[in-house]
Amino acid sequence: MVRRYWIGVASILAALAGSAVASPSFAADSIQFGAVLPLTGPGGVIGTQEQRGIEFAVDEVNAKGGVDGHQIVVQYEDNQAKPDQSVLSFNKLVDLQHVSVVFTGYSGPTLAMAPLATRKKVLLVNAGAQADKLADASPYLINTLPTIGDEIKVLSKYLASEGKKKAAILFENDAAGISGRDDYLKLIPAAGGEIVAQEPSQFGQTDYRPALLKLAGSNPDVVVLSITAGLLQLAQQYRQLDMKFMVAGTTFMADPPTIADPASKGFIHTQVQIDAPADMAANFKKKYGSDMDFFAKQYYNAATVVLTCLAKVLKEKKEVSGENLRTALFEIRKFQGLIPMEFKTNTAATAIGINMMSDGKDQRIKEISSE
Amino acid sequence: MIWLQLLAQGLVTGCALGVVAISFSLIYATTRIFHVAHAGVYTMGGYVAWSLIQHGVPDPLALILAIAACTAVGALIQHQLYHRLERRRATQLVILIASLGVLAVIQNIIAAVYTPNILQFASAWGGRTLSLGGVLVSYAQLLIVLVSLATYGGLLFFAHRTLLGKRIRAVASNPFLAEITRLQPQDVYVIVIAIASAVVCLPGVLVPFELGLQPYGGVTVLLTATIAMIAGGVGSITGAFVLAVAIAVLQNLSLLVMPGEWSIGVTFFIFVIFMLFRPRGLFAAG
Repeated sequence: MVRRYWIGVASILAALAGSAVASPSFAADSIQFGAVLPLTGPGGVIGTQEQRGIEFAVDEVNAKGGVDGHQIVVQYEDNQAKPDQSVLSFNKLVDLQHVSVVFTGYSGPTLAMAPLATRKKVLLVNAGAQADKLADASPYLINTLPTIGDEIKVLSKYLASEGKKKAAILFENDAAGISGRDDYLKLIPAAGGEIVAQEPSQFGQTDYRPALLKLAGSNPDVVVLSITAGLLQLAQQYRQLDMKFMVAGTTFMADPPTIADPASKGFIHTQVQIDAPADMAANFKKKYGSDMDFFAKQYYNAATVVLTCLAKVLKEKKEVSGENLRTALFEIRKFQGLIPMEFKTNTAATAIGINMMSDGKDQRIKEISSE
Repeated sequence: MIWLQLLAQGLVTGCALGVVAISFSLIYATTRIFHVAHAGVYTMGGYVAWSLIQHGVPDPLALILAIAACTAVGALIQHQLYHRLERRRATQLVILIASLGVLAVIQNIIAAVYTPNILQFASAWGGRTLSLGGVLVSYAQLLIVLVSLATYGGLLFFAHRTLLGKRIRAVASNPFLAEITRLQPQDVYVIVIAIASAVVCLPGVLVPFELGLQPYGGVTVLLTATIAMIAGGVGSITGAFVLAVAIAVLQNLSLLVMPGEWSIGVTFFIFVIFMLFRPRGLFAAG
């Protein structure tokens, strides 16, 4: 009986030890990537689209035989957009699965994983978060879209050129919102404008009337937004209160229900430009039953960048490691995925458009580079 | 003019909050249970109405059916949970924890079924506005005020002029005596929570016409309503309603002199002042 007990324990330990030893990244059969995304919880809707974007790109490449004959496998971990959970997931992917690349999204979780990426030399690929701190959080963190500061710089210059010099700020009282507020405080005056008022809101708040009324008291030409939720309600209340100032913001404002609502007519926002060919969008919709939205496109694009780097590393017969993939990225520098992008720094320089919401559509009225 | 608009905004918010406060006051004064799951019922009402409207049910009928659903859930919580716990001589703390558990379950079921994203009612009438003396109000806001005032008046009439209302007040004032005089307090408790759940469904449906639906938004509303109830005097319908309106008006007007993030601080400041000078509440009986 005792002997059987110890044989059982030994078997379990052996099984655990076996499962902990993952295939090395340069094995002939498959190459593993990791992804730490919010697949459930408040960020689940966006996280799911991000996952689909990666999957779509990887399945496309695998269907053609993989990269240099290697099939690509992505291991997904659900972080629910929580930084502490993200750290656990990152360590699990790197230490147990030995991945050399981890896709990520949301500023808080990405900033939490960045020091680990530096220490463990794992390429951390962000295609959704835009906090300014991401630009220099880690030499191993690459951002495939501009930061909020880049967008606000473009917006500030545009507003000044349109004669909208007096600006009031409505910002969310959290990391992303405060980061945007600080950028507005710095960049609007730099473009020749003036900040006349600022008012905080809470994440998830939907009653914006008091804040809009207070800001209106300062007679701004434009109210610039740094909020991520409740945009539709803000638009409707703005219209109901018959406010006269313009409303402007960044990509955060590209919310489909808000765009579709007539209340948002005339709202201006910067938009990181990314489009998918019609046939690709149709295939995506057929596969997943939903449109290929901004985040799906961004992560598809980011996956193609990583796969291009991987192809170079394999061609040069180097080890598939975060360090080598990073080196390949900066050697290639210019990529043509869904959009042209160039990596002079860790953050890609891409085109930023100025869009106006009108008649249920989001129409591009100007395009500027993020450099 | 901005202050006038802020005042109007405060009155609307206050009226909705007042209905939550008087419904919570009704429960607490009668049963002595801190029924935090009331926030879940408030939230649930909005989602039930939203689902029905999405399936083509006319708005008024959706409201009535949502009220019926909330009434049933409230009665169920009292009959199947609180009553059983009380029979097992559970302490008030245990009942409070159980109520918190029910709240968590309701909120998480809603979030799982509907997602945590903000949902908007499709009905267009709510957003149309009219000008009242230069102050712009939406139809939804006007309806909130009218329904709230009617609810306040209706509950006052019910409490003082109907047989059931008097029975409820008798049970609330002395449960032991009510038991021995066969007023059947346990039945009264079920009726009270059922009525309060029906009442709280009104702002639970009408407010989201304006502000959208979120699974976790009810807790802040209930907390503020509780403050209004205590500051107004536990058991006083008028006290709860008036203080709710006062709190909301002061929160809005305070924006003229301070940032919005301090509005919750204003609420608690008012509460502390009242407790220092009038611990039993403004409208409590002498």
